Amino acid sequence: MRKLAFYIAIVVLLVAVLFPLYWVVVTSVKTTKDAFAIPPVWFFEPTWENYQRVLNNGVFIRAFLNSVLISFTASFISVAIGALAAYGLVAQDEPVRRSNEKFVLSLRIAPPLIFIIPTYFLAAQLKLLNNHWVIIAVYAFINVPFAISLLITFFEDIPRELRDAAKVDGARELTIFWNVFLPVAKGGIVATLILCVLFTWNEFFVALVLTGRDTQTLPVSITSFLTFQGVQWGPLTAAATLVMLPMLVLGMLVQGQVVRGMSLGSIKG
Amino acid sequence: MFKDATKLFYQPVIAFFGAVSVVITIYVLWLTLHNISLLRPGQEQFIGLNNYVRLLLDTRGLNALWRTVLFTVIATVIELIIGLSIALLLDREFHGKKIARAIMLVPIVMTPIVVGLTWRFMFDPSSGMANYLLSLLHLGPVDWLGNPQVALFSVMIADIWQWTPFVVLLTMASLESLPGDPQNAARVDGAREWQVLWHVTLPALHRALLVVALIRAIDSVKTFDIFYIMTRGGPALSTETLNLYGYISAFTNFDISYALTIAMVLTIFTNVALLLLYNLAFKAQARGAV
Repeated sequence: MRKLAFYIAIVVLLVAVLFPLYWVVVTSVKTTKDAFAIPPVWFFEPTWENYQRVLNNGVFIRAFLNSVLISFTASFISVAIGALAAYGLVAQDEPVRRSNEKFVLSLRIAPPLIFIIPTYFLAAQLKLLNNHWVIIAVYAFINVPFAISLLITFFEDIPRELRDAAKVDGARELTIFWNVFLPVAKGGIVATLILCVLFTWNEFFVALVLTGRDTQTLPVSITSFLTFQGVQWGPLTAAATLVMLPMLVLGMLVQGQVVRGMSLGSIKG
Repeated sequence: MFKDATKLFYQPVIAFFGAVSVVITIYVLWLTLHNISLLRPGQEQFIGLNNYVRLLLDTRGLNALWRTVLFTVIATVIELIIGLSIALLLDREFHGKKIARAIMLVPIVMTPIVVGLTWRFMFDPSSGMANYLLSLLHLGPVDWLGNPQVALFSVMIADIWQWTPFVVLLTMASLESLPGDPQNAARVDGAREWQVLWHVTLPALHRALLVVALIRAIDSVKTFDIFYIMTRGGPALSTETLNLYGYISAFTNFDISYALTIAMVLTIFTNVALLLLYNLAFKAQARGAV
């Protein structure tokens, strides 16, 4: 009896978590008539009409490509820089490492508003508001501190003996970094990369301010479906599904690391 | 010699970030002491602390500040209470635990803009699911996002939906790392389950919960996406938080100095929370008690 109550509670919980998502995805394959029927239609003929409209929309496709380009490039840069810095920090004594870790952590706390306004005016004066490299640089700047703090936790797990053994063999630091640390921490590095992609893909505020017509990312582009004539829920739900689906897949790939990464990396709750 | 080589790996990066943050902080402080507005180009003057005084006397700004505090406190507390309850419920062996955990992750990795759209869709006054479910219970339609009394709480529901699972997953991880012995000892001594929970488990979780609460509070202060997509601060400014007001001041009114003043105040808030976080997290680690 208690067991039954427990499973009912679990089912209620999972429905509460998944229902809004389910409803959006289901609406995206409904006809307009079915989508707005009250009482809601639970069984219906699926249609791909909304997806056709979204995928024939050049602006959306362009935003998709922008999102892929910007999030992957920025993440690669962040992880490359972050890995070097994390390698250096792990080799330091405890007090030095702690104080640097604290500093890195504090970089991630500031509200984006405070550095985005100066960046915007700098970019506006240099006529760079519609430039991919500006937004990539800003995202790399935001992600490096995150990459450092998360990668430190992975590099810490590498036994000191591995390092010391390579030292004895006369290896230089760069060789140890490249031939020992990178291969051993490969899983952690890939997870960090995926998390950086995830954050960048999902980020809205910076993109809203710093992207122009040619550099718009998906979260910004999707707001264009909210027109003055009202919200076109059909295409909008289809677009929303296409935006979040890749991130759900990536999120599942790095399940264990997501929460670790989001809880500020260096704080083990 | 060997220490010096490893220093080269991180010092340039740290130095770069240090220099950039110092330059930005000084530059922003300097700008907040002027009255720069893109609508009045070429007429900037040094006005001292006037922007800060203006914010103190600005009803719209103070209301936004109050809303930010309200949103942060209520959302964090609710997320913590529901999250802790769910974590305690799930903290046992059962079939499908792995799947339950994976499903908990879904809202966390969802694009916040899509979360906002999803809830705007659910809260649609005529065809939304929320009002349909209420009508099944013979409760009147609620204008979720159109009623100034309700809108802030509707946005809060979206935030709670997205971030409670985060609290659940972090709390579950802490629960699993607790040694089981004290609980079992208490049970052997004849303590009831709720007594074990109240006197043994919760005190042991105390610090972990505070850390989660601070992380959530810092993020809530900075919440932007769901407000932008669900209400844009409306109706009648009833959901305008400080972050949103700063954005509007900068990019709608082009009142740069004032927008940066708001951003400074926000930064001070988050830094206070950060100091608390350091004390909790790093001191705990130094003592070896995590």
